[in-house]
Amino acid sequence: MLRVEGLSHAFKNGPETTQVLHSIDFSVKRGEMVALLGSSGSGKSTLLNLMAGLMKPTEGNIFIAEHDIVQMNENQLAEFRRKHIGFIFQAYELIANLTVRENVELPLIFQGVHPAERKQKSLKLLEQVGIPDKSELFTSQLSGGQQQRVSIARSLITEPSVIFADEPTGNLDTRTEEEIIAILKSLNKTMDTTFIIVTHELEVAEQTKRIITLRDGKLVEDHAPGAPIVPAMPPHNVAEEPVPAGGKTT
Amino acid sequence: MRIRDYINLSWDQLKRRKVVTALCAAGISIGCAAIVVAMSVGESAQVYAESQLNTFLKMDEITVSPNKGVSGGGAGNNGAAAKSSETDEVQERGKITQQKLEVIRNIPHVKAVAANQQLGYLEMNTLDERRAMVEVIATDLDSLTKFGHDFMQGAASDLAGTAVLNYGATLGLVDQETMDKLIQQLQDNPYDDSLMEQYRNMNRIPSSLYQRQVRLGSTDMNGKSFLSSPLRVSGVLKKPSGSRDDMIAYDKKVYVSIETGELLKQEIRLENGENATEPGTYNSLVVKVDDQNNVEQVEKQIKKLMLNTSTNLHQKDRLNEQFAIVRTIALGIGLFVLFIASISIVVAMTMSTYQRRRQIGIMKVLGANLKQIRNMFIIEAALLGLLGGLIGIMLSYWIVWGINGLTAGSMSDGSGESILFISPTFIPIGIAFAIMTGVLSGLYPAISASRTDALTAIKRD
Repeated sequence: MLRVEGLSHAFKNGPETTQVLHSIDFSVKRGEMVALLGSSGSGKSTLLNLMAGLMKPTEGNIFIAEHDIVQMNENQLAEFRRKHIGFIFQAYELIANLTVRENVELPLIFQGVHPAERKQKSLKLLEQVGIPDKSELFTSQLSGGQQQRVSIARSLITEPSVIFADEPTGNLDTRTEEEIIAILKSLNKTMDTTFIIVTHELEVAEQTKRIITLRDGKLVEDHAPGAPIVPAMPPHNVAEEPVPAGGKTT
Repeated sequence: MRIRDYINLSWDQLKRRKVVTALCAAGISIGCAAIVVAMSVGESAQVYAESQLNTFLKMDEITVSPNKGVSGGGAGNNGAAAKSSETDEVQERGKITQQKLEVIRNIPHVKAVAANQQLGYLEMNTLDERRAMVEVIATDLDSLTKFGHDFMQGAASDLAGTAVLNYGATLGLVDQETMDKLIQQLQDNPYDDSLMEQYRNMNRIPSSLYQRQVRLGSTDMNGKSFLSSPLRVSGVLKKPSGSRDDMIAYDKKVYVSIETGELLKQEIRLENGENATEPGTYNSLVVKVDDQNNVEQVEKQIKKLMLNTSTNLHQKDRLNEQFAIVRTIALGIGLFVLFIASISIVVAMTMSTYQRRRQIGIMKVLGANLKQIRNMFIIEAALLGLLGGLIGIMLSYWIVWGINGLTAGSMSDGSGESILFISPTFIPIGIAFAIMTGVLSGLYPAISASRTDALTAIKRD
């Protein structure tokens, strides 16, 4: 479903070059729920942006549904994202002047789907994420948890191959965080959609089926929660890393 | 992406930023109104001037006169005799005959033809001794309506001894004694405004002459007076629109049939000079053409019949040249205002692009491509242009109403009619200019928006 091969990336800052990812290799099967765990500066957000086609890697390949997205131009990537990728952001990133339903429908609008079909799909998803009665409200009238549910519904509307969630619970309180994780787990189970969740919180990562840990741009661990840790690199205790409280990762 | 969705998304943006939308639309509307009003002023002024010229100069009419050739001189007796013979032949061929009249009547675009003979200015007397000087014209009375004269009362009659009066001929008929008395008073007190007003009013007093009898009188060179048999007034023409009463009062005409004209010539000794015609010929024809644009074509056909023609078309050509300049200047002013308005859109839309970088970034992440983002901004600018255009059209109507309201009272003919109008063709032109301004102004912001880097936009905050 998702395959990352020899992925490296470096940022140029004047004459200096900062290597942020070092030859990352891993693959994710369809329907898997994977957490990308790492502290601030570990390279997890860069990896997410590369996998989503928002950046071009310095080296390596990324295959999603057997398409090498590294070779695609900007318009091809837009087309690919529209059909195969869903996004959930930490700050929800909803459009304020659109209603909840219109926000959910937005990816389908870019696909040119008929309004009746869009409406039917969006209402069904809003029901699945538990806010069927909020469809005609504006996003400013919703709580943080409700807004993230809208964001989740929006990410699922195109029935994508993979959904990238960037710190989806980063702005939420503990109780709402649990609710959102429960929704994501339920959707993963019922819709067989692949989820890749970027987080710096071990508690969130432990809710998934697989944890890929990054440190200093290197893949250091890849294991199922509770299973013995299989080090991809020399063993390293992630929990010892200081974790920023609720902030953004980039 | 569907057109409807583009429009909905763009409209939502316009609704959200009400103040910016209102300011941009106001700018475009002023530019659009400037263009529409400028074009309307040019067009209305030309139409008004043409209608005024047509009223007085009858630009859709051709006056036909006999071709008498060129009178020569300076040759010897033999030469003079030969020349005289040639001139006679030319004059014979150049006469207006009944046959030529029928040919002219059948020329395409000819609406009406009437033999027209000026019998001169004669004194018209009513039976109760009121009188006025009138211009007497012998013509085909049935053709009066075809020449745009409508009847207020009665109609033309086929009977001999009847006359048709124009509206002016029914005004200012007073008895000689009253008139003499007033003139005497005016001579005694030349600066008395009330007497002047009385004199002016007297000239405007209408009389009911329909079915009454009038007589026409003339005086010969020896001072001998002649009076015609009574003529029954079979009809009175309507008051011409767009003319003041005091102007109408000086335009007094009596129309009689050609036969009645011949009788008058004998009765009151008019048979001399210009009025003399041979039987079966006419000394003048008036040809009415269906449209001013066809006058030249008809005139050429008439000239082939060896006849002289004259029209007032050259007045129209001069007018067109002058108004072409006026229209160009007016359009230039309108376009300049629109150009200034377009700058406000470029500024507002560019600001909007910057403010909406994050939103554009999210849309790109969700799958919007460059073309979709660019189109969204262009359609937003086009909607802004359309909105401004519609407001501009309304604004131009208000301006035109306002100008008409202000000028209604001060019109030279006192008719109070509106002279300024908006031609229906100007509305789509105005809106098209407004939309075009919106789209052109929105191009740079749209391209700039589509180039927004999604990742940078999202990371920004």
